[in-house]
Amino acid sequence: MKNKVLMGLAAIAMVAFLSSCGKVPQAKVDATNAAIEAAQTAEAAVYVPAEFSAVQDSMKSINAAIEVQKSKLFKKFGPIEVKLDETLAAANKVATDAAAKKDEVKKEVETTMTAVKAVIEENGTLMKKAPRGKEGAAVLEAMKTDMAAIEASVADAQALYDKGTYMDALNKIKAASDKANGINTELKDAIAKVHGKTPMAAKKK
Amino acid sequence: MRKVWRGVLIFTAIAVTLPLVILLLIHFTPHPPTGKMDYARELLSKAEVNKANTYSKKLFTEARIFYDSAMVNWKKENKRFIYFRHYDKVASFADLSAKKASQACENSVSTSANLKIKLKQKIDTLDGLVVQLDQLFNTYPLPSEIRNRISKGKILLKEAEIVYNKGMYFQANRKITDSEYLLTGSYENASTSLKNYFKSFSVWKRWVDKTLNDSKKNNDYSIIIDKFSRKCFIYLSGSRKYIFDAELGKNWVGSKRVKGDMATPEGMYKIAKKFDGGKTKYYKALLLDYPNDDDKQKFRAEIENGSLPASSKIGGLIEIHGNGGKGIDWTEGCIALTDREMDVVFKIVRVGTPVTIIGSMVELKDVVDK
Repeated sequence: MKNKVLMGLAAIAMVAFLSSCGKVPQAKVDATNAAIEAAQTAEAAVYVPAEFSAVQDSMKSINAAIEVQKSKLFKKFGPIEVKLDETLAAANKVATDAAAKKDEVKKEVETTMTAVKAVIEENGTLMKKAPRGKEGAAVLEAMKTDMAAIEASVADAQALYDKGTYMDALNKIKAASDKANGINTELKDAIAKVHGKTPMAAKKK
Repeated sequence: MRKVWRGVLIFTAIAVTLPLVILLLIHFTPHPPTGKMDYARELLSKAEVNKANTYSKKLFTEARIFYDSAMVNWKKENKRFIYFRHYDKVASFADLSAKKASQACENSVSTSANLKIKLKQKIDTLDGLVVQLDQLFNTYPLPSEIRNRISKGKILLKEAEIVYNKGMYFQANRKITDSEYLLTGSYENASTSLKNYFKSFSVWKRWVDKTLNDSKKNNDYSIIIDKFSRKCFIYLSGSRKYIFDAELGKNWVGSKRVKGDMATPEGMYKIAKKFDGGKTKYYKALLLDYPNDDDKQKFRAEIENGSLPASSKIGGLIEIHGNGGKGIDWTEGCIALTDREMDVVFKIVRVGTPVTIIGSMVELKDVVDK
């Protein structure tokens, strides 16, 4: 009788042991969540949205997998730990990529800004040389207003840049750049037409 | 010996029963809706890829909330004793999440597709409006505020195009709305001014007809200045002999009202004096008899009805003169021609030659069509 009781207790102890032998790798979960948060702080959602989304999805599936294991009588967190290691590495990479992309966009804003300022300055010089014949001067007047709007847009882009919203600054400065280059082309074409005519006239003489 | 057999029997019984018990324990463990959760997550992910968090925010947020609720319930159930767990709520939230995520995805795809088409149309329309504004009003004396609004509208339209091409339709929509506000507002303002200006067309037509009839009847020269096309037409015996480009006062729209308003007057005038040599600083000049009786009467009426201050003075010294060819309306109200053209005009006209200044010889609709 004593043996039977001992055997029963042993069986219950074995079941209890088997059902609780796996523990949630909480430290890894916390580390991965922290890495995802760090990626978010690095504006990964803005600069590398697809990659960031993939990491978030991966974490969601890990959370679900953890609950799946917790629902079982015999838990097994080994594969989850592997997945957590992978996701942690991916989250760290996303944070690094986001910072790199942000830096890239920042540099692009800086380069475009410098280029636009140079074009604006060149346009100022070209305007003085541009032909003022029939309606030319009136068009130049309209261009001057456009140039003023472009300069205001550059200032807005600079403000966005100073705030650190480089993507918005880039969109703004690109528009200003397109407009300024458009005017630049128009002015150069108009000047070229006039300069093109002079040698022809000289030849006729 | 018997004791040994009894031990073997007990051991065998335990060896058979224990796995059976374990199997039964496993079998009767409540199963969480893993498949449903996976499906919901998959649909959420698909919705996100299709930018449902932007284009179908409400549905997507609901889907996410349902998924989170499912997870919370799952965690809660997992804390209970294994055989007391119920995953019905988890399954129900997972189903709801999947349903909403699917709707969000569909909705996002159709919204962004519609938005893409709608915005493209708007961009094209506004591009057309910009062309129209440039064609109609580049040389029209619009207030600087309107000019600034047009320029700002153009830049915003460009920004809208850039974000549109990046697939950021909501941002593009905001910029298009702002641009549309500036451009259409400016266009309406300028159009109204133009329409109001052309209300005098019947009067201008009468003046032109009379001028041409007189030219024909008297077998003489007459000059018609068309302000809108900036042309100076010279007729002999009712037939057009010359067309020259003319430059006007900075505020040429509308007739001259008061001294210093930089407007070119409208009316039927005559050449009062001819100046050349050192008598004019504009190469050669033809002084008009502005203000005529009509101008004086209008001026007095405006003083009387208070639309002009009592201290206002009527302008004068309106001329057709040289030094033109600048390509811009730069005079203080005179009509400027190039010196070469001035030589031609100066030679053929005399004191008393009629000079009719009008807004336009063609109707507004023809101007717009052109």
